[in-house]
Amino acid sequence: MRLLLVEDNARLASLIREGLDRQGFAVDWCETVAGAEHALTINGYDLMLLDLGLPDGEGLDLVRGLRRRQDTMPILVLTARGGLDDRVLGLDAGADDYLVKPFQIPELAARCRALLRRPGASLGTELSAGNITLHSAERSVKVAGEPVVATPREVDLLECLLRRAGHVVAKQALEGALYSMDAEVTPNALEACVSRLRKRLATAGADVQIRTVHGVGYALFAPMPAHG
Amino acid sequence: MDKAGNSKRGPAGPTLFRQIATRLAAFTLLFALLDVGIVVFTYSSQPESLAQELLTLEADKAERSTALAPDLLAGPPGAEHWAASYVEPAVGGSVPLKSRVDAPGGILMDWTRRERIPGGYRISGVRSVQQGGQQRWLFMQFEGDGIRPYVPVIANEIVQHVVLPLIPLSLLLLLFNVFAVRRVLGPLQRAEAEVDALDPDNILMRLSEAPEPREVNTLVRAVNRALTRLDQTMAILRGFTANAAHELRTPLSIMQLSLDKLPPGPLRDDLQADTQHMARLVGQMLDLAQADALAVEPEALVDLADIGREIVGAMAPKAFAAQRDLRFEAIGDTRALGHAEAIYRIYRNLIDNALAHAPGDTPIEVTAGPGPQISVRDYGPGIADEDLPHIFERFWRKDRRKSDGAGLGLGIVQRLAEAHDGAITVCNAPGGGALFRVTFAPPGLG
Repeated sequence: MRLLLVEDNARLASLIREGLDRQGFAVDWCETVAGAEHALTINGYDLMLLDLGLPDGEGLDLVRGLRRRQDTMPILVLTARGGLDDRVLGLDAGADDYLVKPFQIPELAARCRALLRRPGASLGTELSAGNITLHSAERSVKVAGEPVVATPREVDLLECLLRRAGHVVAKQALEGALYSMDAEVTPNALEACVSRLRKRLATAGADVQIRTVHGVGYALFAPMPAHG
Repeated sequence: MDKAGNSKRGPAGPTLFRQIATRLAAFTLLFALLDVGIVVFTYSSQPESLAQELLTLEADKAERSTALAPDLLAGPPGAEHWAASYVEPAVGGSVPLKSRVDAPGGILMDWTRRERIPGGYRISGVRSVQQGGQQRWLFMQFEGDGIRPYVPVIANEIVQHVVLPLIPLSLLLLLFNVFAVRRVLGPLQRAEAEVDALDPDNILMRLSEAPEPREVNTLVRAVNRALTRLDQTMAILRGFTANAAHELRTPLSIMQLSLDKLPPGPLRDDLQADTQHMARLVGQMLDLAQADALAVEPEALVDLADIGREIVGAMAPKAFAAQRDLRFEAIGDTRALGHAEAIYRIYRNLIDNALAHAPGDTPIEVTAGPGPQISVRDYGPGIADEDLPHIFERFWRKDRRKSDGAGLGLGIVQRLAEAHDGAITVCNAPGGGALFRVTFAPPGLG
């Protein structure tokens, strides 16, 4: 995975590069809007990390320019601006996510992974959390390397949760992904499906946890990795 | 609002009405005295006309008192050898007079003569007097010295030309004063009411400018200019807090990320906890500065349930990591007028507060609705009565030894709620735990 970091503070940039490097990302760095535009013409990047106030211009103008050219590269805005309207402004300009400084490397890495996992970002991704793995093209699930039999709907559900692992996926979003528009969905259908998937994963010895967030949706949590 | 020594009534100085009234009266008096002086001066420099007026005055007396024989007229004060009698045109000279009765031309008519005699002057003359529909001629003569015989004439002149015109004029002026002052002060009173209604939260408010009187208008405009300068100062202050907090974020990021490179150990853990606390404080200061400046668009319609689901979803991983259960429920119509990001922060600060103050294994219930309100309920110890007045104060913490917060969260919530024309209430819920409720303006009231 090749990332482009656009950040004018050299010390912060080198810390971010080191941190993401340890997490398995290759990070190129430039300091200005012009530098970023130049780098983009030379290399293809999977993701751009963008600071907003740059010496030669506004980071958001760079986002708008890319989106005008139909470039769908995911963009994560890293900024000290946490104003009430800043996040909406950033997302409206075409950024995919917005992270306010200061942040921790694990949080930044998780956001990067989430953006890279987006459908359409690449085909046939292998999604994993804890000891479970799901191959999105083969529709196969493995726990600790052993195949697990699951219904297509349970695989769909697991894929949705894995793509947003560590985050809550709204009930409506899951229902929209699992059931076609005209299908009669009983209020308990999703709940029953989640409960079957939980049982299946537990039986197979999976170490992930699917939690219910009452009134909101579901979230899949991987076991806490050893910190540092 | 009123604090001690800040009562609405000012010092009991004289009213403008009284000031104008006393000044008008004083001025009238001065004018009257000046007038008297002018009258006295004018006549004393014209003894001829003074003598003429004196005889006319005496003749008027004779005319008014029909019963009185001319001899009984007292004559002017201090007059010697006063004589008065009716004369016939034909008779001339039969009365014992020291002067001729008929006019120098021999034809009877009004005439006056003043002549100098040793030790004073002698004044004589004839006046036509109407008595019983009949014209008669009154001859008068006396001798005198100095100003004294003229006193009645001068007094009469003063009454006629000074007192009679000035008294009604003064009364009219005082009456006019009542209306004028009331009319002039009307705009001032309105301005006073508006100044009293000035709200430090609504910094854009200005006094309405009445076109007249111009003096009040200039005062109102001066006050408005002062308010504008005040606004600018406030904006600079707020801007400073916001800029300072903003500028601190990049160095804080560098600190946090640098600490990650230290070898693991208790020192690194402490430093990481400290920088996290500091990052939180900086974030809250910035939030507060932004909350102070928040203006909610009157037509911004949001669904409190959507925002609630988003924030509960975003915070659930954190709560679960702390072994806490975070639940959300939407009841009925949950639309409200508001700023989505601001309401998101209201939820977040209330949930953070519940996470910090309720014990580890208790759930937190977040509710949107029914109607334009949200609530966050925990199952902790609730809020002690003596703490209630303080919980929204900035930088207040129940236990200052705990370093997990800055005491700004609830202050931010309150400020954001106020910016929505909403309100925050807190009570201890039945069954234990604190229940915070924030109400917003319902849609369709913009």
